Amino acid sequence: MIRIENITKYHQGRPVLEDVSFTIAEGSNVGLIGPGGSGKSLLLKIVCGLVSPDGGKVFIDDVDVHSLTPQELADLRFRIGMLFQNYALFDFMNVGENIAFPLHQEGGFSDEEIDERVKQALIDISLPGIDHLFPNELSGGMKKRVSFARAVIRRPPILFYDDPTAGLDPVTSSKIFILLEKMKVEGGVTSVTISHDIQGIKSICDRFAMLEEGKLVFLGDHDEIEACEIPVVSKFWQGYSDDELEI
Amino acid sequence: MDSGSTKTEDPRREPTTFREFLASLGRPFVEIGDTVRGIFAVFGLTLYYMVRGRTRWKAIFEQLHEVGNRSVIFIAVTLGFLGMILIYQSGYQAQQITGDLQMLGGLFLQLLLREFAPTITAMMLATRVATGMAAQIGSMVVTEQVDALEMSAAQPIDYLVVPRFIATTIMTVVLSIFAVLVAYTAGAITAQLSFGLNVRTFVDMSFIGWFDVWMGLTKAVAYGMAIPIIACHAGLNVFGGSAGVGRATTAAVVNASLAVVILDFIISGAGYVILHLVS
Repeated sequence: MIRIENITKYHQGRPVLEDVSFTIAEGSNVGLIGPGGSGKSLLLKIVCGLVSPDGGKVFIDDVDVHSLTPQELADLRFRIGMLFQNYALFDFMNVGENIAFPLHQEGGFSDEEIDERVKQALIDISLPGIDHLFPNELSGGMKKRVSFARAVIRRPPILFYDDPTAGLDPVTSSKIFILLEKMKVEGGVTSVTISHDIQGIKSICDRFAMLEEGKLVFLGDHDEIEACEIPVVSKFWQGYSDDELEI
Repeated sequence: MDSGSTKTEDPRREPTTFREFLASLGRPFVEIGDTVRGIFAVFGLTLYYMVRGRTRWKAIFEQLHEVGNRSVIFIAVTLGFLGMILIYQSGYQAQQITGDLQMLGGLFLQLLLREFAPTITAMMLATRVATGMAAQIGSMVVTEQVDALEMSAAQPIDYLVVPRFIATTIMTVVLSIFAVLVAYTAGAITAQLSFGLNVRTFVDMSFIGWFDVWMGLTKAVAYGMAIPIIACHAGLNVFGGSAGVGRATTAAVVNASLAVVILDFIISGAGYVILHLVS
């Protein structure tokens, strides 16, 4: 279970997250939505301990993430996978080395076992035989899928996806969502997905949280968000705007 | 949805009182203090992970090649020209004053060992190596690769800084020795061609003692440790995208060069105090 308590964060004197609190039950798949710059990615980084909050606490299975020593935090991260918005593939490693990296860090795997798991991961993302290529030789969609393979290679019980379809064409986006859906169907994974693709996120999430200017303005399931009468939430969910744009 | 009540005051907001205004005047000094503290924190963690972390031989050899092999020509050209200029200028002066060039080679070797070889080599490495390290690590920060390292349970200091620290420390010593050879050879050739000074007269070891070798090696080790720590600290603290990477590379070369000069002063001063006490 992930418990976010009163998270506050400032950037250059301006609050970018204000008193955000909610709980993510074990096995649930939460969609974190909101306009650009509302603090979604920052909140995700605070949850996994990459950024320290100015106020508030994050608990993963009752462990205060921000009170851990670097080694304890590293141990916790063996149980977390993260798909980054900008792929974050190591540009000095080839695809195979990128995917194998978390296994090498964890230790306890033979070289044959790692090779086998990398090969299987590449088959799972429909990119077999590209393990020798470097990230700069891949398209955006391929990078996202490789990044996904790296995030799930340890089969972690907690997964964070930061805008998994950002900048991708609709066909590639649907491929990514199929991969995420597969993780959900296989079960046992607690996930948080940030996305602006409402149709896609509907298919993989059972609960939704919405941030607006750093504040949590909605938390509920699919039916609740469909019926939500808070204007900013319903407009975002249905994808329309009152603002007129002069052309 | 919960609604908590914990509010935190942001310490970086604009000053609203006279006291806060006065505090804002001292902020640059606080920032310098933070940078120095940050550099020492990186240094401490680097030493910690050197002892506790995994030894990544492949990464160390890659860095040895990057810092050492790729700097050889740069150092050879720089120190070669420096050797020629120093011998020509000092030989010309000596000729004007005493006309005796017998001690030129011996004193030049002493000066090279104590001062010029390690310090100029370190200055060159500060420009070539520190900028590269800061830019590489900085771009890893802005593209979230450092975050990805952390999420893979790797410690950035252990993974990125330790191999660079070990390699630069070793290679600064090696390149300083190489610099002595290059500058002295260039000086000998210049002395022969410009003043007709015989090479056998120029090569004079009588002025060299353990103190000169000790001081040169101590400086090379100290510079070799300082340069990667300062460069990696600048890279790891990048913010603000590609502009931030630019700022980090500038900070790396400026701070590393300053560190070389300050360490030179401290080690030279301490060395002469020790020499005085011993003798």
